[in-house]
Amino acid sequence: MKIDRRSFLALVGGGAVGTALTPLPIKLTDDISIWSQSFRGLPNEVPVPADGAASYHPSVCTLCPGGCGISVRKIDDRAVKVEGAAGFPVNNGGVCALGLSGLQLLYGPWRVQAPKKKENGTWKTISWSQAMTEIADKLNKLRQAGRAHAIAGIARTEAGTVPSLLKRLLTACGSNQFFAMPAVDDTFRTAAAQMRGNAAAVGFDFENSSFVLSLSAGLLDGWGAPVRMIAAHSQWRNTGAKLVQVEPRLSNTAAKADQWVAINPGTEGILVLGLAHVIVRDGLYDRAVTQNSESFDALKALLKKDYAPGAVAKATGIGEPVIEQLAKDFAMAANPVAVCGRGSGREPAPVKEVMAVLALNALVGSINRRGGVFTSSPLDYIQWEQPVLDDMATKGLKKSAIDGLHKLPEALNKANVPSIEALIVAEANPVYGSHDAGAMKAAFEQIPLVISLSAYMDETAALADYVLPLHNNLERLEDVPVSAGLKTPVVGLAQPVVKPQLDTMHPGDAILKLASEMGGSVSESFKWRDYKECLKSTFGDDWRALAKDGYIQKTLFGETMDAERLSKRIDFGPLLKSRGAMSEVPGDKNQYPLVLVGYDTMRIAAEWIGTPPFALKTVSDMVIKDDDIFVEVNPATARTLGLKTGKAATLETPAGKARVRVNLSDGIVPGVVAMAKGFGHTAYDRYIAKKGVNTNTLIGPVEDAVSGQDVAWGIRAQLKNA
Amino acid sequence: MSEFDDKSVDVSTERDVSADSDGDGVKADNGGLAMLLSFIIGLVAALIIGWGVFPALLYSEKEQPVQFNHDLHVNGEYMECESCHYFREDGTFAGVPTLNACIDCHEYPIGSSEAELNFVDNYMATGKEVPWRIYSKQPDCVFFSHAAHVVEAGMDCVACHGHVGTSTSLKPYEENRITGYSRDIWGKDLTGVFKKHPWDSMKMDDCARCHERETGSKGACFQCHK
Amino acid sequence: MKQNQGNKKPHKFGMVIDLDKCTGCGSCMVACMSENNVSFRDDESDKQKSITWMRVYKLTNGKPFPETEICYLPRPCMHCEGHHGHSPCVSVCPATATDYDFTTGIVSQIYTRCFGCRYCMAACPYHARYFNWWDPVWPEGMKESLSPNVSPRMRGVVEKCSFCFHRYQLAMEKVYYDGGQELGEDEYQTACTQACPAGAITFGDLNNPKHAVHQLVQPDENHGGKPKNPDAFRLLERLGTNPKVYYFSSRKWVRDAADNNIKNTKDA
Repeated sequence: MKIDRRSFLALVGGGAVGTALTPLPIKLTDDISIWSQSFRGLPNEVPVPADGAASYHPSVCTLCPGGCGISVRKIDDRAVKVEGAAGFPVNNGGVCALGLSGLQLLYGPWRVQAPKKKENGTWKTISWSQAMTEIADKLNKLRQAGRAHAIAGIARTEAGTVPSLLKRLLTACGSNQFFAMPAVDDTFRTAAAQMRGNAAAVGFDFENSSFVLSLSAGLLDGWGAPVRMIAAHSQWRNTGAKLVQVEPRLSNTAAKADQWVAINPGTEGILVLGLAHVIVRDGLYDRAVTQNSESFDALKALLKKDYAPGAVAKATGIGEPVIEQLAKDFAMAANPVAVCGRGSGREPAPVKEVMAVLALNALVGSINRRGGVFTSSPLDYIQWEQPVLDDMATKGLKKSAIDGLHKLPEALNKANVPSIEALIVAEANPVYGSHDAGAMKAAFEQIPLVISLSAYMDETAALADYVLPLHNNLERLEDVPVSAGLKTPVVGLAQPVVKPQLDTMHPGDAILKLASEMGGSVSESFKWRDYKECLKSTFGDDWRALAKDGYIQKTLFGETMDAERLSKRIDFGPLLKSRGAMSEVPGDKNQYPLVLVGYDTMRIAAEWIGTPPFALKTVSDMVIKDDDIFVEVNPATARTLGLKTGKAATLETPAGKARVRVNLSDGIVPGVVAMAKGFGHTAYDRYIAKKGVNTNTLIGPVEDAVSGQDVAWGIRAQLKNA
Repeated sequence: MSEFDDKSVDVSTERDVSADSDGDGVKADNGGLAMLLSFIIGLVAALIIGWGVFPALLYSEKEQPVQFNHDLHVNGEYMECESCHYFREDGTFAGVPTLNACIDCHEYPIGSSEAELNFVDNYMATGKEVPWRIYSKQPDCVFFSHAAHVVEAGMDCVACHGHVGTSTSLKPYEENRITGYSRDIWGKDLTGVFKKHPWDSMKMDDCARCHERETGSKGACFQCHK
Repeated sequence: MKQNQGNKKPHKFGMVIDLDKCTGCGSCMVACMSENNVSFRDDESDKQKSITWMRVYKLTNGKPFPETEICYLPRPCMHCEGHHGHSPCVSVCPATATDYDFTTGIVSQIYTRCFGCRYCMAACPYHARYFNWWDPVWPEGMKESLSPNVSPRMRGVVEKCSFCFHRYQLAMEKVYYDGGQELGEDEYQTACTQACPAGAITFGDLNNPKHAVHQLVQPDENHGGKPKNPDAFRLLERLGTNPKVYYFSSRKWVRDAADNNIKNTKDA
């Protein structure tokens, strides 16, 4: 038989018929379609998240000073979602964009995986015991050389057991060079101390206010406990309370206010006294208060002399009728309150300005009144025995310390012998977050030994000689004292939600370990077995309540609300006596005709950590596009400078220079340039770093005449087409 | 397999022969027969491929890591399905049990069967979960609510899983080489038309048919997809 | 098998967003991303390629300084019902990868079925749908935070807000398991609703007179769900998309902007 063309076709035909009579075609088609549907990507396959039992774990968020209660959803051992804890006194269920991104910080590539040591400029992974031995050895050598006072420490905040342990370590070593990152709470405390005679935490009863006058306070832009403030705003919408936002820029707060009063930057204090002028002139003040207060007549005279509406209008750029009306509305409201603290209100403010605001509140009787300003004694639950001091320590403690963190560059750059030879930084990021960050970086580079205790490879850690990786906030137990403008401060309890993912340690345990490694009196100063024991014994009888509820409200500490504390009495004297001008922007007006201000938003983390990718996704492309940061300028300003929207420009200030792009906005006072804070990270990785510009590199420190703190909020600037 | 191979050999032999012989008359005589023969060869070969070779090639057989005897536990020890395959308090279904469910009895071997020794030595002792191959595993994009079917609709486990609960051994897991899914999803019967029991196959169409019958609607995408 | 789905009135889940309360903080956006395994890239500044199921828009009244006003407007998927389930996106899908669920009122979809033609994106007047232009990549370690309740999407498919339908599924599992008959209002809430610090979002069953959303907007079923409450409005009402997301705003310019009111045009 011969296979010719026809029989071949017959073979194929038979094959076709046969195939049609089998499940092959349909099955193959189906399988191929399923295969194509379940194509999971090339070269990166889409992961299939493992299923398991769901559970919820309570903790307290420590990513900002707000201290919200959170509830973390877990699937087996994996944390998959952060949610707000219902019923928690600060946030009652709500949670912010940063807190919600918390898992990205926990699981992200920016974590430090294991202890690291820098050798010839490159990182080497070492063991914890090696790190501790080497550091203890170096610190002991400094002590023995009589340089105990040259050991310094920087913590993110002052309050809480972890910063207190660091401070104690320094004291035991013989140094009083402990610094906390400066905070607005300090300013409030200073102002309250001077005007009311006791160093009190200042809180605001916003929930019951009927008229809120905000002086550039970004009440809805991260001020205080951010979630609480947003909830309070909703309450104002329900009750009909009025919010007036005085601010140079149409921030989110200004956008939500009943009235936005655009003001020349830095003149808020002048406006406050201008309002006081009208209130006093028209007799709208609370006589019961003024009769009880000191220096009221002197205040009256000053107001009359310097703060008439005409003069105030000229300085602030606000029309006289607006000032008159605002003063009357404020004074006539049932429960008015005035509040300050620029932007997120985390950085210290000029004390004089805060005193003016307190004075305005006092005039209308809003101190210690429903809906007003409340003063309460600071959270002082940490009552430890004095550390054990040996001779080296006693001698060291007699030496003077650098007067504030912002003085560090100056002190280090000038002195022949560096006044700091070893620096321990605990979860603070001063190299990024200090004004004139460039100078701070240069100062850090001069310190022979920098030890960074950090969960993340941030700018400060990147400069260190040793990085001791810490448990992230979701991996550890810690007390979280929250004042943040709350009427009644709270201590929350952060609890480990997941097991430590990496070779990390609790900061408290790291300090205890270091102390024990140092031996001698330093070791003797720390009697606790571990941090947990330290924390439990600190709270004593209150521990059970804290562990059970996850928080303690301050009243539990048995504060007696004595008459003095509750009084509305105030001394206007310190306000009148305090030196310094009300409005001062550093820089030469002719060379730098504009004013640069940094602004905060809820969507960007502007402090010690970088903004996680989720939060970055929410940021507008008119704030950051590609790697360029935008600055907002009024179209009128742009016209005179020949700037166009979207175009590149060079922004220059006395502190630095940067390439930016221009965003024309009608929501800003002419002559002002506004730039988002929180960009321009150089550490971290591709998700966070190299995007935009760090405002801190453009703004230099300004020392407050009263508190000596760095209170810079802006700087003179010029903007030119690039 | 050779049925197929033999035939092809035949063909080539024939071809050789016919190539040798010449003459138009022979060719004309054999033309119809050759075509018929070719057709039948093609047909048979295709049928063999479609019914035999293809299914054999499509699935790779894999043994379960542990030979679990359901019958021994259910009938021998009077355990309920729910003892191991239980609902969590939030109504989700725990599915195949983890070592925790076994540790009470099998922390140490209680018998001498090879399967148990394998389980205790390789898994219980090391704390490593057994990588069970799940016959009824649906793709990642599928959401299936056991609570809706078992509790709310009162369906029996057997309705979808067949008589696994009374089996004495675990059959080999057949993995589709193209899709990666278990053969039990499409069903043993590749034609898909001889479905006798509801558990014979668990494709989307099977779900939809039952839903349409019982609830009047196939349901929207999200009812079963996530 | 019991048949008790048939005699119940179907749900119609919807949302009311109070724009007077929304402060534009972005919580809803991130809550959504974290809840729904939304992917992210190292540069997210190209907003046309950035996936945000829930997106907060910034509206301005267009007036010069200092009369400028800003309003923040969160935009989830509107879950349009159109006329009898003919939502703009559903009716154009050639793959039947998206459909309208008459029992819940949710526009649902099967990601794996989508072949990426993006007709639905073109059809959606709210820009609520997003395309995966790349393989989603989670940096090392971060896959740990993925939720098993929502399947991560692959390159080449379209995705959008689901009203956190998996939460409905989980809530229903609990209802079934507990032998309960009805789903409580607070038992099914979307992630954005739950996270909103302002309490600006209300979520619930528009068909259930006991639910807050129903009471707030009083949807008129005879007129395509139009709110009887004159203070409530929907986006692009005139298109007849019959969306299930309602808004409140005391500002007229915002209400006008919502319907793209051009001078001298009348409501259709």
